[in-house]
Amino acid sequence: MHTALLIALAVVVVLLVWFVLTFNRLVRLRNECAQGFSGIDVQLKRRADLIPNLVESVKAYATHERETFERLAEARARSIAAVTVGQAAAAAVLMQSALGGLFGIAEAYPELRASENFQRLQTELSETEDRIAAARRYYNTTVRRYNTMIQSVPSNFVASIGHHEPREFFEIEDAGDRAVPSASIT
Amino acid sequence: MSLQEQIRANRIRTAIVLLGFVVLIAAFCAIVGYSYSPGLAGVVGIVGIGYGLISYFASGAMVAGVSNAHPVTRADAPELYHAVETVSLAAGLARTPPIYLIPDDAANAFAAGRTPDTAYIAATRGIIALLDRRELEGVVAHEISHIRNRDVRLMTIASVLVGVVALLSDMLMRMAWMSGNRRRGEGQNPLILIFGLVAIVLAPISASLLQMALSRRREFLADASAAELTGDPEGLARALAKLRDDHRPLQRVTRATAHLYIESPLRDHAALRSSLGGLFDTHPPLEDRIRALEESGGFRLA
Repeated sequence: MHTALLIALAVVVVLLVWFVLTFNRLVRLRNECAQGFSGIDVQLKRRADLIPNLVESVKAYATHERETFERLAEARARSIAAVTVGQAAAAAVLMQSALGGLFGIAEAYPELRASENFQRLQTELSETEDRIAAARRYYNTTVRRYNTMIQSVPSNFVASIGHHEPREFFEIEDAGDRAVPSASIT
Repeated sequence: MSLQEQIRANRIRTAIVLLGFVVLIAAFCAIVGYSYSPGLAGVVGIVGIGYGLISYFASGAMVAGVSNAHPVTRADAPELYHAVETVSLAAGLARTPPIYLIPDDAANAFAAGRTPDTAYIAATRGIIALLDRRELEGVVAHEISHIRNRDVRLMTIASVLVGVVALLSDMLMRMAWMSGNRRRGEGQNPLILIFGLVAIVLAPISASLLQMALSRRREFLADASAAELTGDPEGLARALAKLRDDHRPLQRVTRATAHLYIESPLRDHAALRSSLGGLFDTHPPLEDRIRALEESGGFRLA
């Protein structure tokens, strides 16, 4: 009788330890997701900060491209205003196609492409794009781990007690990714 | 093995290494105390423990000093800086590790430091010149993986402690020679002397075996997680292939720091290379590492 009681007690203790560990792991992953998103956000803001200068440098050579400049301004405004992951991702897609348009214009102006200021901005932009891609990779990996844990048995029980909801991936279509011709930095 | 498991395993190994170090020092003291004089044992003990403590806290700086690595800024090495910055973001590191440059034409790189907050990445001028951007990113990702899963702490500490053990055993070896001439015939237990000599010979060997056990498997692990970080196993594989074909030897290299590097710096040193066919190698052959990357990434290098 005594041993049965001890076994039951041991089982309860083991379950309790597992619960605490799983709970804490979920909390840690949730924080890592949030941290990952703010990592992307910092880089997106940095890119948004580059836009006015970039537009200025293009305007010096190409004055009649108002539509492209307006699209960029809108993409920038949306990017700055974005709060959720979905909004930020949508703004990023818009930004990428607008930037694609801008660099399309640049193709037609050899003097612009030769300008030192423009080249510097282009390099800076492409470095920022690299960092956005890297931050996005980290965020998506973390979200995948978090979501898997929330959805799989038995950790999903703990997740429902701790009010954990699956998080949204930061997704940008490949077509958008390719829209910006990256300046070669070697 | 997941990242968390790896970190946990490394924490335990670090504790074992530190404990093993203390035991070794104690054994040294005992040997010295028995075969020479208790006073000398105290001196050896204090020197050993004191040096060990200093090394524990200054290990990163010591390794940098020994390897002739100097901290540089973004302007000095923009490609390297950009790669480190990008990969740190992908790894979710709280801080971008500082970069150190080694003024050497040989192509090699390592990461060192006691914690992720004090870790740094060191690269030779040669590797920056040799590799393109994608390849350099692969190498940096390999080093960042070592930092992220706490390999560097273990490896850095191991390298300075191995240095301490080598120093002490060297000291004892000399003392054994001297006293062997002086004290022969006095009432001394020969068994203890023999025992002591065996221990003195074994200590450096055990230290270097330990150093290898620490390092070989984790090179594969770091390669795998580097491929995951950059999403580009081919970049790293190409970098390793270039390192394999490059034979300029590194100028400042010691046995104590060899295991830190991305590829064995001893490979191109005929004098330091061991002849025992792989048993004492600090790194798995680059061929095997490239093959592992090819298999995981589903590609073949031309």
